[in-house]
Amino acid sequence: MTASILAAPEITGADFLKFRDFFYRKTGIYFEESKRYFVDKRLVERIEATGADNFRAYFVALRFETTGAELQQLVNAMTVNETYFFREHYQFDCMVNSMLGEIVARKRPGERVRIWSVPSSTGEEPYTIAMYLLERWPLIDTYDVEIISSDIDTQVLKAAEHGVYSKRSVANLPRAYLNKYFTPNGQDGYVISRDLVNAVEFSHANLTDATDMQRFRNIDLVFCRNLLIYFDDVSRRVAAEAIFDALNPGGFLCLGHSESMSRISSLYSVRRFPDAMVYQKPIPKDNK
Amino acid sequence: MKHILVVDDSVTVRMYHRKMLGDAGWEVDEAANGIEAIEKSLQRADDAGFDLYVVDINMPKMDGYTFVRELRRQTGQCAVPVLMVSTEGRASDALAAREAGANCYLVKPAKPQELVLTAALLLGDRRAAAAVAGAAIEGKRS
Amino acid sequence: MALRRSSAAAESREIVERQYPRDDRGLIAQLCDSRPEVRRHAVRDLAAHADAALVLGERLGVETEPSVREALFTALSMHPSEAAAGTLLALLRAEDAGLRNGAIEALGAMPAAVGPHITALLGDPDSDVRIFTVNLLIDLRHAQVAQWLLQVLQGETHVNVVAAAIEVLAEVGTRAELPALRAARERFSDDVFIGFATDIAIERIEAE
Repeated sequence: MTASILAAPEITGADFLKFRDFFYRKTGIYFEESKRYFVDKRLVERIEATGADNFRAYFVALRFETTGAELQQLVNAMTVNETYFFREHYQFDCMVNSMLGEIVARKRPGERVRIWSVPSSTGEEPYTIAMYLLERWPLIDTYDVEIISSDIDTQVLKAAEHGVYSKRSVANLPRAYLNKYFTPNGQDGYVISRDLVNAVEFSHANLTDATDMQRFRNIDLVFCRNLLIYFDDVSRRVAAEAIFDALNPGGFLCLGHSESMSRISSLYSVRRFPDAMVYQKPIPKDNK
Repeated sequence: MKHILVVDDSVTVRMYHRKMLGDAGWEVDEAANGIEAIEKSLQRADDAGFDLYVVDINMPKMDGYTFVRELRRQTGQCAVPVLMVSTEGRASDALAAREAGANCYLVKPAKPQELVLTAALLLGDRRAAAAVAGAAIEGKRS
Repeated sequence: MALRRSSAAAESREIVERQYPRDDRGLIAQLCDSRPEVRRHAVRDLAAHADAALVLGERLGVETEPSVREALFTALSMHPSEAAAGTLLALLRAEDAGLRNGAIEALGAMPAAVGPHITALLGDPDSDVRIFTVNLLIDLRHAQVAQWLLQVLQGETHVNVVAAAIEVLAEVGTRAELPALRAARERFSDDVFIGFATDIAIERIEAE
């Protein structure tokens, strides 16, 4: 019996262009020619995973699928989605260097600043926010800040409150922060300080559930990174509107590095700061 | 070097305008709708946005008229010229374009010479305008 | 001052009071409130009701605040139905470009409801409506898409509608459509843009 080795599906230049136009239309992400290898490899993976004979069959199935599940898988494959401390930290730089300044300028004395991190995933993002505020925001001693963080997945919420992390997860942290806020657990893991765990309020929440979302109000700053890109078109809009209603006028929203409101909603204004470009809920003209 | 942003949800129209304007010697970038156009405009390193916007009217998420108003409002770029191109020659569209803040209006598909000459005039690029005029004269001779 | 957990008391003090009842009549009344955020909340609560399409569609006809319009379109998209499609189809002829484009986008989210209307839309006297309809076909999961596109290539007189169909075929076309594409190129032989567009579509299809 001879084993037959099937040749891997080939992605032609025309296939790449078709895929590129489709993906750009759907997500706003545009792949230059230099990304051929990156894209081809992942397309071949998805073709094989779905059992399609070739790119053409895969592309037809992708477009005709009613649930949109394969599109989500494809987006997943084409984007980098690892979570770790200080991921895309230029947005946190922007928080302490620019956004918080505008936020507190609108606050009444004693009024709290509220920051929402969604999805919390296993906690790296809300804890990063906490460290940034404590270490890099000069006004942390003048204002009270609440950090709330939510996720649809109760497992990751448990992990976030548990607070144990791998070497990989903490690799981007300045050494001084690692020493100050973490304790090695003797099994190649790092345990985050209970003070930080206690500083974040975790909850279970579904961004597309209107009733769930009523709990989130008067928020000044939302980090919603690398989540909406995995939603279908309607759910994305619902989530963007939920966040909009949760925000105070003038409040800010940060999406992930390769995400854009241009494929989601025109509710927000775009603001460019030295460290980052972010979205803002407009302030009504009569509301100074 | 002048930079133009082509804003249109049609990939073929973007490619077509890019070719016409690129051949005329300008740098061309693309956006698929008004929101993306504002983002690209703000992202430009020199803080000056683009030198000319060539904008469609019918686009998802943010139509052309809204884009021109929002471009002026969100980026502060009140003087940059905007050339609107759209599918209908209705007088009401041309008027609406002017009211939204556009400088000029062409009907799609624009003839290459018409597009390039209009762009050249809006950019204040005399070299390019002369080249188009020269080519037109050559065309008539041959 | 520093990092604080919210207390339950703080939570209830800060949350905006929802003063109005959430029953249908209350919500519909709130659609006319002078405050956009009240109208938006009412829209989002009504979005949960599958039979609110007519009320939401009516409001779209008069709503001027962009954020409320967005919410209205999203709400209609959440419950595809003949009624929802009907209200959106009526907006295709609106004076306001934002309303027209919003309606098209929402219709794109309901292939089953819009399917029965495609043939009529492709024959609409307004060429912009015909262009919108062709553009819808690119993401429409419907068995008749290729047939509709061929219809346009063969019978349509307006160059921009034909161009829209050529562009859709560049992504979804098969070799079966090549003859019709070449014929369209011939029919519009004096139009540089049509030549440009068909060359791209033919190249993409032939390369398979």
